[in-house]
Amino acid sequence: MNTAIEMSNLTKDFGSIRALSRLSLKVEIGEIFGLIGPNGAGKTTALRVIATLLLPTSGSVEVFGLDVVHEAAGVRKIITYLPEEAGAYPNLSGWEYLEFMAKFGTNDKNRVHEIVSEGAEICGLGERLKSKAKTYSKGMKRRLLVARALMTKPKLAILDEPTSGLDVLHSYHVREIIKRYVKEHGVTVLLSSHNMLEVEHLCDRVILINKGQIVAEGRPQELKEKFGSANLEEVFAKVVGLA
Amino acid sequence: MLEGFGNFLIKELKEMIRDPKILIGMLIVPALMFPLLGSIINFATQSAREEAAKTSVLVLNNDGGTYSEVLISFLNSSGVKAFVVNNTSPEEAMSENLLSDYNTTQFMEIPANFTGNMTQYVQGNSNVKASVNFYGVFSVGSVFGNIGSSIFDGLVERFNRQIAPNAITTEKSTIIKGEIQKGVDPRILSGLVLSQAIAMPIMIMILLSYSMQIAATSVAMEKEEKTLETLLSLPMDRFAILLGKLSGSIIIAALGALAFLFGLTYYMGSLTATMALGASLDLVSLGLAPSFFGYLLLGVSLFVTLLSALALAVIISAFAEDVKGAQAIVGYIYPFVFIPSLALMYLDINTLPLVIKIVLYAIPFSHPIIASKAVMVGDYWTAVLGIVYVAAFTLVIMYAASRLFATEKILTAKLKFRGLRKRKERPSEEFQ
Repeated sequence: MNTAIEMSNLTKDFGSIRALSRLSLKVEIGEIFGLIGPNGAGKTTALRVIATLLLPTSGSVEVFGLDVVHEAAGVRKIITYLPEEAGAYPNLSGWEYLEFMAKFGTNDKNRVHEIVSEGAEICGLGERLKSKAKTYSKGMKRRLLVARALMTKPKLAILDEPTSGLDVLHSYHVREIIKRYVKEHGVTVLLSSHNMLEVEHLCDRVILINKGQIVAEGRPQELKEKFGSANLEEVFAKVVGLA
Repeated sequence: MLEGFGNFLIKELKEMIRDPKILIGMLIVPALMFPLLGSIINFATQSAREEAAKTSVLVLNNDGGTYSEVLISFLNSSGVKAFVVNNTSPEEAMSENLLSDYNTTQFMEIPANFTGNMTQYVQGNSNVKASVNFYGVFSVGSVFGNIGSSIFDGLVERFNRQIAPNAITTEKSTIIKGEIQKGVDPRILSGLVLSQAIAMPIMIMILLSYSMQIAATSVAMEKEEKTLETLLSLPMDRFAILLGKLSGSIIIAALGALAFLFGLTYYMGSLTATMALGASLDLVSLGLAPSFFGYLLLGVSLFVTLLSALALAVIISAFAEDVKGAQAIVGYIYPFVFIPSLALMYLDINTLPLVIKIVLYAIPFSHPIIASKAVMVGDYWTAVLGIVYVAAFTLVIMYAASRLFATEKILTAKLKFRGLRKRKERPSEEFQ
C-alpha cells in the first residue's frame, strides 16, 4: 500500500454553508502534498477532517487505511496536526512543552527524553528552550510547534499554514526542517498554504482549492506547463478566471 | 493630548458597546441587579417594620402592684400588645409553652418586689432600683430577625423618661432552643448572627466567581491559542481533557474551600472568644456555631457547589472564541451566584413566598448559604439534601460537557446573538 491519504467525495457543511464540495484526492507515502487556495477556500476544514477534528457531512477519508470517522482513535496515533497560528502554553518552557507532547506517545522516560532531544534539535532553539514560551517571538514559537509535530516521526504530519506570518529567515528554517525530515525519516506531510510561490518550492504535488472545490491538481511543474504560466499564482488566477 | 488617543478610544468604545456579551454582562445585568437588591432590602426592612408594628409580649406579672399596672398600660398605649399572666415564673412559662399559646417570641417578667422598689425610688431613695427581666427567643434566620429586644429597650427608656429617670433597669436573657440562657444579651448574639449572615455569603460569592473565572479562562486560553485543537488531535481520551480541566480547577477550588473553612473557623473562634467575656456559652450546643459534623457538611456542600460552578463555567466558556468572550459569558452566571447570596443575607428562606423559595432552592449556588444556616441549628438534613441536589445538578452538567467534548461542537460551538446587532454576513474562519 503506497497511499497515505485517500479522500473520496468529501463534503462538509456548516449549517447552510457548504465549506467543501465532493473533494477527492490521494496522497502517496513519503511525499509533501500541498493544499493551496485563498483564505476561506476550505483548506483548514479539509485538514481538520483528516485530523479527526471535524466529521464529514458525506464522503470518506482514510489515513493509512484507517477511516477518520470510525477509526479516529487509530488515526490519532499515527498523525500529528499543527493548527494555523497555534500557540504553546505560555507558562511552560519550550522543553516542558515538548516533554508534555512527547508523553502522549510513550510512558518510557528514556524514550520521552530521546523524542524531546530530537525536537530540540529540529527547532534549533538551544538554550532558549529553557525559557517560558510566552517570551518567544512568533517565529520561535512556530519552530517549536513544527518541531513538536515532527519529533515523534509520525506517519503523517498535517501542517496548516506552517510558515504563515513568519519572516523570511524563520520561513526558510521551517521549510528546511520539513524537507529534511521527510527525506530522512520518510514522514508524509500534508500542508496548506495560501503562499503559492512557497509551496511551489516545497511540495511534490499540489491541489488548488477554491470555494470548497478542487480546481487543479498535479506537480507544480506540470501545472505551470499545462497552463503556460510562470508560477502557481498565475495558474490559480487562470483556473478561477481572474487572468 | 496623546496622538491618536481619541481615535483609539472611540474604536474601543464602539467595539465594546457593539459586543452583546459585554453589553449584557457589564451593563444590563448590573443595571438590573442593583434595583433587585434594593427591592430585596426594602422587602426585608418592610417585613421587619411590620413585625415591629405588631410586636406582642407576654407579661409575667409576679408583682400585682400599682406600678406593674402602670407599666402594662404604658406598653399597651405604645402599641405593644401585652398579654398578662399573673404569678408565673419564667421557667413555668417555658414549661407550659405559654409563648406559643400567646403566639409571641418574647416575655417580660415583672418581679414580686417591683412596685415596692419603684415607690422607694420615686420617693427619693436612689439606691433602690426596680428591675424587669426580658426574655427573647433567639432566631438564627435573618439579620432583622432579632428586632424585639431593641424595641423593648426603647420602650423602657421612654417609660423611665415619663416616670423617673433610670427608674427601671432591665436584665436580659435569651431563649435558645427552648432553654433560658440567663444574662445573655440577645444583642451580642444578634451581632454574631449578623456577621455570620453577611460574611458567609460574601465569602461564597468571592470564591465561586473567582473559581469560575479561573476555569473559564483556562478553557478559553486553549481555544484562543488553538492548543485545544492540538489536544483533540492527540491520542488521548477527550473526556480526559474535560476531566483534566475540571480537576485542575477542582484542586484550586478545594484549596479555596479549605481556606474558606479555615477562615470561618478562625472567625468563629475569635467571636467565641469575645462572647466568653460576657458569658460562658457553648455556641455549638446553642446552635450558634457548627459542630464538627456541621463543618464537614458545610465543606462538602461548598465543594460540590464549587464543582457545579466550575463544570458550568467550563461548558459555557467552550462556546466562547477567546478569553475575553469566555469571561463575558461567565458573567451570565454571576447573577445566579450574587442574587441568592444577597437575598439570603437579608432574608430567612423559610419566611419567603413559595415561588421565591422554589427559585432559590433550584439555584445550586444558594445551597452552601442555606447549609451554613442549617448546620448552625443542627438541621443536617437540609444540608444533606442540598448536597444531593447540587451533586445531581453537577452530574447533569458534567454529562453535557462530556458530550460537548466528544463531538466537533467543542470547536464549532459559538453563542449567537441574532437580532441584537446588525452584522454583515461573512464566511467564518472555520471554513478556511
